Amino acid sequence: MSIVYINILLAFVTSLLGLLIYRSHLMSSLLCLEGMMLSLFIMMTVVILNNHFTLASMAPIILLVFAACEAALGLSLLVMVSNTYGTDYVQNLNLLQC
Amino acid sequence: MNLFNSLTMTAMFILLLPIIMTSTQMYKSSLYPSYVKTTTSYAFAIVMIPALMFIYSGQEAIISNWHWMTVQTLKLSMSFKLDYFSIMFMPVALFVTRSIMEFSIWYMHADPYINRFFKYLLMFLITMIILVTANNLFQLFVGWEGVGIMSFLLIGWWYGRTDANTAALQAVLYNRIGDVGFILAMAWFLTNSNTWEFQQIFATKHESLNTPLMGLLLAATGKSAQFGLHPWLPSAMEGPTPVSALLHSSTMVVAGVFLLIRFHPLMEQSKTAQTLTLCLGAITTLFTAICALTQNDIKKIIAFSTSSQLGLMIVTIGINQPYLAFLHICTHAFFKAMLFMCSGSIIHSLNDEQDIRKMGGLFKSMPFTTTALIVGSLALTGMPFLTGFYSKDLIIETASTSHTNAWALLMTLIATSLTAAYSTRIMFFTLLEQPRFNSLSPINENNPLLINSIKHLLIGSIFAGYLISHNIPPTTTPQTTMPHYLKLIALTATITGFVLALELSLVTKNLKLNPASNMFKFSNLLGYFPTIIHRSLPLANLTMSQKSASTLLDLIWLENVLPKSISYFQMKSSTIVSNQKGLIKLYFLSFMITLTISLLLLNYHE
Repeated sequence: MSIVYINILLAFVTSLLGLLIYRSHLMSSLLCLEGMMLSLFIMMTVVILNNHFTLASMAPIILLVFAACEAALGLSLLVMVSNTYGTDYVQNLNLLQC
Repeated sequence: MNLFNSLTMTAMFILLLPIIMTSTQMYKSSLYPSYVKTTTSYAFAIVMIPALMFIYSGQEAIISNWHWMTVQTLKLSMSFKLDYFSIMFMPVALFVTRSIMEFSIWYMHADPYINRFFKYLLMFLITMIILVTANNLFQLFVGWEGVGIMSFLLIGWWYGRTDANTAALQAVLYNRIGDVGFILAMAWFLTNSNTWEFQQIFATKHESLNTPLMGLLLAATGKSAQFGLHPWLPSAMEGPTPVSALLHSSTMVVAGVFLLIRFHPLMEQSKTAQTLTLCLGAITTLFTAICALTQNDIKKIIAFSTSSQLGLMIVTIGINQPYLAFLHICTHAFFKAMLFMCSGSIIHSLNDEQDIRKMGGLFKSMPFTTTALIVGSLALTGMPFLTGFYSKDLIIETASTSHTNAWALLMTLIATSLTAAYSTRIMFFTLLEQPRFNSLSPINENNPLLINSIKHLLIGSIFAGYLISHNIPPTTTPQTTMPHYLKLIALTATITGFVLALELSLVTKNLKLNPASNMFKFSNLLGYFPTIIHRSLPLANLTMSQKSASTLLDLIWLENVLPKSISYFQMKSSTIVSNQKGLIKLYFLSFMITLTISLLLLNYHE
């Protein structure tokens, strides 16, 4: 596995760690989600272009579409939480309120 | 090669001059009203010359000035048709308008916007002349819409008054419904005759002309206030009296009748259209005459009288006598405008009192107005050898001797006697008996403007019938022999109406006042027609549209069925089903630790 792939994989792992470990703001996990999507996109594009795998050239674009959808979903969840509490602190998401 | 065309065009251009002068200093000075009046009288004098040429030699002309555009196969140009109808109508209209303008210098002298008033009157006159001289349907439609708009502006002249705004809106809406019929006829002619010019329409033969003729009948119903689209005419009395005199008695409301007269070669071919016209006119004339019997506002009585006479004109078209209807248009303009001007004189003298129950005893205090009112009423009811006799009596005679619908004829005869009845009512309540108004009324008719204007129309009301009917070229031959009872039937009906109304009026002076009977309420509230139609139809329309568009589509389908129901369902089920405590960070951390441990373990798996 060449150094380029390892580099991008490392970016992916870093974003994954950032998604799973965060302190107070829900927004930071959403940002790391975006970072994961970005690194996946770059990975996919580089692999397809290097192996001349032409038929799969649509795959990155489809990935982008689904990434946009999930970002919108994540943001709407954030907005719902923020509507109820005023902030997006994770400590608010306890059993007291749905 | 004579000056026929040039003089007509000159007269029309002269009428445009005061409109062009609105951007100059003349419009802001106090001389503008008399300038407009002088312009109109000059235009009348000039347009009399082609009229006399036509009477002498029967010369007609079509002036085609300017080719506007050609839309594929349809050629639109500005063309004026100067035939029997338009040449005879223009002098009459200009004469009456000149008198009304002189009258309104007196009537509206205290109005700060009198210059604008005269500009509107002149613009109305110009659009009416465009309508009358149009040779193609497009130009006629321009004139048609123009008189509608000017009617709106003039009825709502005192726009601070709610009733005036409502009345103006009513006029526009009812005219619009008629315009739908007009456009239907235009579209039919466009697709079936490929033209909007009258000559080509009359030259081609069609199988069934019912569609365009029904459209034209609807247009006439809207514009001429026939039954079904009639409430705007009595409401239009909210405008100043000169407006009522000009628009809603002599010129605008005859535009619908004029349209049907223009299309008489087509009306001759369709029996259905003629029967419908006849019945519509008969219903209108009887219904509005019944409504006029119990009104208390003097202008409304005269408005209903106009409506009744319009119904009579429509009846005349229905018995296939367009030339007689046109003669009645011309003669009716004189005495109806004069009746309105007399009522304006009375109203102003009694300090803006319009209710006839509060007038009375003006016979000795306003002699000139009394004379004019009585002569006008006699001319209206068809007293022999006054103006109305030459047209109205001929109409009744022709209807009685023609092969026509007996019910329509009976309605028309009853309406004739009711005409005499409500005319007697006007004269009795305003002129006779003891005065019922305040003692300190400024009764003054000693103004040369008022006297001259009414005098001109008075002479017209007496002599114009004779002069016009003896000088016009002969058209359809009237029936000359008939049984003597048919000859006298109009006169008998009129005299019956007079005598009955006078007796009843004199008797009710000494009777106890009874509560109103049902028939009285029917007549006083205009047959409940406006009460029912003006509320229930718009309410039904708006409710239906609100239910279907807003409630059904928006609120239920687009909002509730898919989006809101899905989100509601999800939320309910998730609150019921989930047993998590919301400890997100714990869950994420445990996931990460699991991932790391599994990666480390499975890396060294063999």
